[in-house]
Amino acid sequence: MSTELIKVTINGNEYQTEKGARLIDVCREHDHNVPSFCYYSDLALQASCRTCLVRIEKMPKLQTSCTVTCTDGMIVTTESDEIEKARRGMVEFLLANHPLDCPVCDRGGECELQEMVFDWGGLEERFSERKNYAPEKFLSPMIGNDPQRCILCKRCTRVCDEWMGEDAIEAGGRGAHTVIGTYGGWLNCSQCGNCIEVCPTGTLLDATYRHQARPWELEQTVSTCTFCSDGCQVSLGSRAGEVMRSVARDRYVDGINGEFLCIKGRFGHPFINDEQRLRTPLIRYRKGGKLIPATWDQAFEFAANRLKEVADKHGAESVGIVGSPRITNEANYALLKFAKELVGTPNYGATDAFSLVPFFENLSAPLATHKDIRRAQTIILIGGEPEELQPLTGKQIRQAVRNGGAKLIIVNSTPIRLNQAASQFLHINPNTEDAFVLALTDESQAASSMKTLGIEAEQFDAVRKLINDTEGTCIVMFGGELSHAAQVALTGLPAMMAGESRKFLFHPLPIYNNSVGVHDLGLMSGELSARDMVAVAGEGLHAMYVAGSFLPEHLQGQEERLAQLELLIVQELFETETTKYADVVFPAASFAEVDGTFTNNDGLVQRVRQSIAPVHQSRADWMITAGLAKTLGMDFDFQMSASAVFRELAERIPAYNGLRYPQLKDESKPVQVKHQISERRDTSNDMQTLRERVSQMKPDGEKIMTTPNVGHELFKPGTLTSKVPQIHLLAAGNPKPETVLISPLYQITIDSSLRRDEAIAAD
Amino acid sequence: MNSEQPLHSTQFTPNNPLPQEGLMPDSIATFEPEIIREMDMHIAKFPVKRSALIPLMFIVQRERGGYLDPPGVAFLADKLGIRITDVWEVATFYSMINTEPVGKYHIQVCRTLSCKILGAGAITEHCTKRLGIKPGGTTEDGRFSLSEVECLGSCGTAPMLQIGFDYHENLTIEKLDGILDSLP
Repeated sequence: MSTELIKVTINGNEYQTEKGARLIDVCREHDHNVPSFCYYSDLALQASCRTCLVRIEKMPKLQTSCTVTCTDGMIVTTESDEIEKARRGMVEFLLANHPLDCPVCDRGGECELQEMVFDWGGLEERFSERKNYAPEKFLSPMIGNDPQRCILCKRCTRVCDEWMGEDAIEAGGRGAHTVIGTYGGWLNCSQCGNCIEVCPTGTLLDATYRHQARPWELEQTVSTCTFCSDGCQVSLGSRAGEVMRSVARDRYVDGINGEFLCIKGRFGHPFINDEQRLRTPLIRYRKGGKLIPATWDQAFEFAANRLKEVADKHGAESVGIVGSPRITNEANYALLKFAKELVGTPNYGATDAFSLVPFFENLSAPLATHKDIRRAQTIILIGGEPEELQPLTGKQIRQAVRNGGAKLIIVNSTPIRLNQAASQFLHINPNTEDAFVLALTDESQAASSMKTLGIEAEQFDAVRKLINDTEGTCIVMFGGELSHAAQVALTGLPAMMAGESRKFLFHPLPIYNNSVGVHDLGLMSGELSARDMVAVAGEGLHAMYVAGSFLPEHLQGQEERLAQLELLIVQELFETETTKYADVVFPAASFAEVDGTFTNNDGLVQRVRQSIAPVHQSRADWMITAGLAKTLGMDFDFQMSASAVFRELAERIPAYNGLRYPQLKDESKPVQVKHQISERRDTSNDMQTLRERVSQMKPDGEKIMTTPNVGHELFKPGTLTSKVPQIHLLAAGNPKPETVLISPLYQITIDSSLRRDEAIAAD
Repeated sequence: MNSEQPLHSTQFTPNNPLPQEGLMPDSIATFEPEIIREMDMHIAKFPVKRSALIPLMFIVQRERGGYLDPPGVAFLADKLGIRITDVWEVATFYSMINTEPVGKYHIQVCRTLSCKILGAGAITEHCTKRLGIKPGGTTEDGRFSLSEVECLGSCGTAPMLQIGFDYHENLTIEKLDGILDSLP
C-alpha cells in the first residue's frame, strides 16, 4: 500500500486517507457506521451479505463498500432512504430462513443479526413460504451447530482456512439449501472454536457452554490466558462465583489476538471451578501418613517451624525454592524475595520446560511481537511446533505468509503441519537443530554441517539467500531444541546478517504462559535448576518450597527422591505427583481468582484480573508466600495488594523499571518490557562449545517422515485440561458418535485403554 | 477397476495431513494407468492443479459406479492436493455430481420454467408411478434413479429429461414409455 494521500468525501465531510484503503474501513474509522456481516478485516473478501451497500457518485448502482478501494475525489453517501431500503431488503433476505428463535439461542443478546434488526426496528417479513428446517446438532465434542440460523456470511470457513490453515469447515450444497458443515458431518480439526467466535449469529455454538448461561448474566473480566506463552487476551464470563466461558469476542476484549483463541484458551477453563480443587491447607504430620485438613494458621505455623528446623540444622543452602512459569510475576517475585531475603539460599529455580537464560543474557535484538510477525518479510522457525504449542504464533505466521507474502523457512526434524506454508523446509535429522545454527552463524562450518543435518548444500544456500534478500524484518523463532551454546550463537546472527534495510527480531517459543516472566525475574538463574534440585533431594537439599508442581521431565521417574526431603511445602490447585510427597500443601488460587501480570513470548506484560473470588479457602500464591514469611518473622510489606507487589518488583527488576498497573490497563496497547540488548558480545567460548557439540553429533536413526496428527499436543490431557470431559474424547481420537443430535459425551464411554497416559504436570 | 488399497494416514502427507484415523474414508481408490493418464490430461489443462476437480470428479464417478464414494473422494483430495472438505463442497454444489449411490439409469427431469409449463410435472409423476420411486430415490433392483433438476438448457424442446448423458426431448407420456421400454 502506498502512502500517497487522497481525498474522499463521506456524507459531505472531506477526509484524507491512504490510497488503496478499503472504503468500509475508512467509513468506520470516521464514525460513519456501515453495517456488515461477511466483511471481516484481514480475511478474504466475500461481499455476500450486501448490507454494507453505499451510494458512490457516478456509479450506476449501490456498491458494497467492503469491496471498493478508495480513489481520489470519491463522493460517498452511507445514509439515505434509498440505502436503508436496500439494506432492509437484504436483511429481509437474510431472515428468510432464519428461525427467529432468539429466546432460546445462546447468542441472543450478543448476536450481530439481532442487533441490526433491533437497531432498525419495524422489520417486516413478507415471505410466507415455509422456512428450511434442520435440527440442531453437534459437529464435534466442542462445536454445536444450528444450521437454520445461518446467514451464509462464511466467516467461519474463511477463518478456518486463513487463520488455522485447516479447511475443516466448508459450505456444502447450493442456493437456499447451502449449509455449513464438513465431510462426513464430524469435525476433525484442532477444535480451536474460532468459527464459533466469528459467527455473527447463533449458528455455530460453544457445545460446552450450550444452554448454560445468557450473555447478559455474565460479568466479563478481561484477563490473560494461562495456557501457553502467547498470552492471548480473553474475556472470562463469570456468574455467581463460577467461570462459565472464555471468549475473545472483540466487544469485550481487544488484545493482541483479536478474536483468536485456541482449544485450550476457549474450552480449558472448567478446571477453575472443578470439584477436585484443593479446599483447605493440608498437613502431613508424619512421613508416610495422610494429608489432613488444617487451618491456614496451623499450616503456616507447621511449615514455618519445620523450615526453621531444617535451616538451623543443615544451613540455609539446604533449602530449595521453586517457582513456576504458570503463576503470576507477583507470585514468583514473592518466592524470589523469600529465597533471597528471608532464607538466604542461592538454590532457587522454576519448573520451566527448558531454560532460555543464555539467550536472554546475550539478547542482541528486540523480541518480536505478534504484530511484527504478521508484517514480517522472512520468518525462520528453528525447531518447535507453534501450531500445537503456541497457536497464536502459528496463526500469525500463516497469515504473514498468506496475506502478507512473507517467506517462511522451517528447520525441523518433523514435517510439521505448518510446512504447507513454508517457502523452504529443511528436513533435518532428529536432534540436529544445533548444527543448523552453527552452519548459519559460522560459514567455515557450513559444509561439514550439511552431512550432520542430512540436507543438500543447495537447500541451505537457498535459505541463506532468502535471508540475505530480505528487505524488512526477519524474525528468528526457536523452540526448546536448541542447546545453551546454540542459543548464544543465534544471538550473534543480527550482527552478522542485518543490513540497512534488514532488521532482525527474535521470538523464542517457550511453553508456559509466564516462561519469559520467570527468566526476567532471574528465577531461572539460581544455582540449581529444578531438575538438579530433584536429583540432590535428601543429599544437598533437605527442604523444598515449591509453587506448582514438577514436570515429569524434572522428576524423570525419580519422584521417590522427594520423599527423602525433611520438608516439602507445596502450593497447588490440585493434588499432583508432587503433592504426594508434600508435608504441607497450601491451596493456591488460579489465574481467574487473582490480580497480577504474565509476560508473554513477545515480552509484553499483560494484566491478569480477578474474575471470581478465590474458590474454597484458596489464596493467591504471593499471599501464601507473604503469609509464610510473616510467620517466620519477616513482613514483606505487600499491603495485601498485588499492585504493591508489582510496584516493588518493578523497582527491583531492571527490565520492569517504571511499570505500574495503571500503565498496563489497556489491553489494546500492551507494554513491552525493556530487555537489555547488547549488540556485540564475545561469544567465542560458546561458539567453540557449539562446534565441539556439533562435531560429536552422529546422525543416528532415520528421518521422521510422518506429519504428527492434529492435536497431538493440544489434546493431551494435562493437570488443567483433563478437567474438561470433552478433551478426553479428543485425546481418544475424536470418534464420531452414533447420532450427532446428542452430545457425544452421553454416547461414548472412554475406557482407560483409549486414554493417553502421559499427562503433563502443570500448576 | 474398483480395486482399493488400505489407506494409511501417512499417505495423506503432505497434501492432506489433517484428518485423523477413525474419521477418514478407510481406503483410497486406485485406477488403471490409462484412467490416470486421462486425469493427468485434464490436470495439464489448468495452471492450478485443483482447477481440474470437476473433470476428475466426472471420471471418478464414471469409474466407480456412478457416484463419488468415500475412497473416490479420498483419491481426489490426494491427487489434487486439496482437503477432503473442498471436494465435498464442490460435490454437493453440482447436481451432476452424485454423492449417494444412483441406479444404472439416472433419470433427471428438468423442472425449470419452460419444461414446467409444458408438463414436466406430468412427466415426473408418470416416472414416479411407473418406477415406484419418488424424486431422489432409486429402485430396489438398482436400475433406475429419479431426480428433478434445474434447467438443462434445452428449453426449445421442452419438456425434456436426461438419462445418463443423453437428452430426450419433446416428451409425451407415450414417448417416455417408449424410452423406458427401450433401455437395455
